[in-house]
Amino acid sequence: MKWVSVLLLILISSFSFLMISNEKEFDNSTFEFGEYCTYEGIIMENPYPRILIERPGDTGSLPKYSQYYLTQFGKFGGGEMVKGLDGKKVSLEGALIYRDDQTMIEIKNNSVNHDHTSENERVFNFDSALPKKSLGIHTLKGEIVDSKCFYGVMNPGNLKVHKACAINCIRGGMPPVFVVKDQQGNIGYYLLQDEEGGAVNKNILDKIAEPLEIKGEVVKQGNILILKANPTSYRNI
Amino acid sequence: MSHSYQAVGWNRQKKIYDLVILIGVFLYIGIFMGIGSTLFPNATAETLMIRAFGTGAFVLLHIILLIGPLSRRFPSLFPLLYNRRHLGVTMFLMALVHGAFSIIQFHAFGDLNPIISVFVSNGEYNSLTQFPFQALGFLALMILFVMAATSHDFWLANLTAPVWKALHMLVYVAYALICIHVVLGVFQSGVSSVYHAMLGVGFAMIVGSHIIAGLQEKEKDKELNSDKNEEGYIKVCKVSEIPEKCAHIATLTGERVAVFNFDGKIAALSNVCQHQNGPLGEGKIVDGYVTCPWHGFQYRPEDGASPEPFTEKVPTFKVKVIDDVVWVHPTPNPPGTHQEPVVVEKK
Repeated sequence: MKWVSVLLLILISSFSFLMISNEKEFDNSTFEFGEYCTYEGIIMENPYPRILIERPGDTGSLPKYSQYYLTQFGKFGGGEMVKGLDGKKVSLEGALIYRDDQTMIEIKNNSVNHDHTSENERVFNFDSALPKKSLGIHTLKGEIVDSKCFYGVMNPGNLKVHKACAINCIRGGMPPVFVVKDQQGNIGYYLLQDEEGGAVNKNILDKIAEPLEIKGEVVKQGNILILKANPTSYRNI
Repeated sequence: MSHSYQAVGWNRQKKIYDLVILIGVFLYIGIFMGIGSTLFPNATAETLMIRAFGTGAFVLLHIILLIGPLSRRFPSLFPLLYNRRHLGVTMFLMALVHGAFSIIQFHAFGDLNPIISVFVSNGEYNSLTQFPFQALGFLALMILFVMAATSHDFWLANLTAPVWKALHMLVYVAYALICIHVVLGVFQSGVSSVYHAMLGVGFAMIVGSHIIAGLQEKEKDKELNSDKNEEGYIKVCKVSEIPEKCAHIATLTGERVAVFNFDGKIAALSNVCQHQNGPLGEGKIVDGYVTCPWHGFQYRPEDGASPEPFTEKVPTFKVKVIDDVVWVHPTPNPPGTHQEPVVVEKK
């Protein structure tokens, strides 16, 4: 009995090792859960809430502002927390989420502060600070993900196992991002907008986490690439 | 047995059995998460936990389903069968952790009730590749919950054996749902081909062992009607073909009868244990009692009654031995009827 038990436990251990050692590599992405920092910047409410934070000193070839998508706890975008603050200067506390050069902040509850001084009430001119540049019409193949999970809150944050979660997140206002992988595994991130530059969340719920082809105009705004196309033209491949 | 309804009737074997289960679960989860966090530092703890408990429960379900047919082939595995329900409850608890963490991770903290989200977030029920596989896992978990909740003898007695047995046969529905849950879920997300192979082997073992066991049972069920004497007794086998303290199983007019040879005597009882319909003829005579191989329920060979204070009874059969050949009358006596065993020369 004793040796049979020991043999069984050795078998269980070996099997557990066999299972975990055959997992595929997990991508490098980070969520600094609970590590709140204070950020100051300009709110861009539409089409997806972002905060623009001025880079210090001479930025050289880099855009003058770095952009962070905003989200709140759970499967919701940060829209409700910064409502009415478009173009206004705020300070907020949040935890950082990042993957490659893509960044997002999960805002801590009740931490958004807007100082109603005359200087802070001045509405920001986005077009001059972050000019948009069209890169032409492109046809891209990839997958729609919710930016929060894919950038670091979940790993993996894409493909079939994550599909339902991505649908919940995008329905809740999370910025939808089209991820395009090249043959070397490098990822291109394209923020999805409709042809007029509006949010597409409600119109793409049946296309999330599926292999897709999207033809549209690629626009560069600061460090963010935007893919503008009518959601009805998204094609399953 | 079934009178006092203790939570668990502990004995030394059960304690060792459960200790091995507990250590095994801790080892499996610990190694999976420990090695996992070392090999894959980018993996989140929640993901590793979901996968550790999910794979562990699925492997355990395979073991549970294999114990039945394998123990028929290899009686030395009967000790595993005795306390299979402990394995079943453990497997359910592991599946529950997998399911609960998955629902919290993928479906909670949104604008829908998490349980509703399982069924409606992904509504592509008409697509094979995009099918909402979580719904299948949830249904399987509900079946496993009902089985775990009714695993105690209290429910067996109150639901009656046929209802209880039918309820617990749903484990095969749960297994099928989980297989599809895996194939339409994680297998659609680019996992290692080793996992495909493992599921293929596991599925083949379950199906193959059940088919083989079924064929063997069918062979046992061949009716013995050809040799019937004028009193209606049917020729079963030679006394010498029945090992001491064991039984020969024969099917007479549709009912399996276990013919026991013990202490120079021959007695025949119904083969069906009153507890969970276990095969009494595959058990042995222990301390003078026919002992079911599944859970140790005991019956006196003379009258088919359990020793007091237990009340289970099985039918007995009339037996004759003529020239070393055992003849059994196919009409069963009422359960618990005394039927004097036939004395034969002890070998």
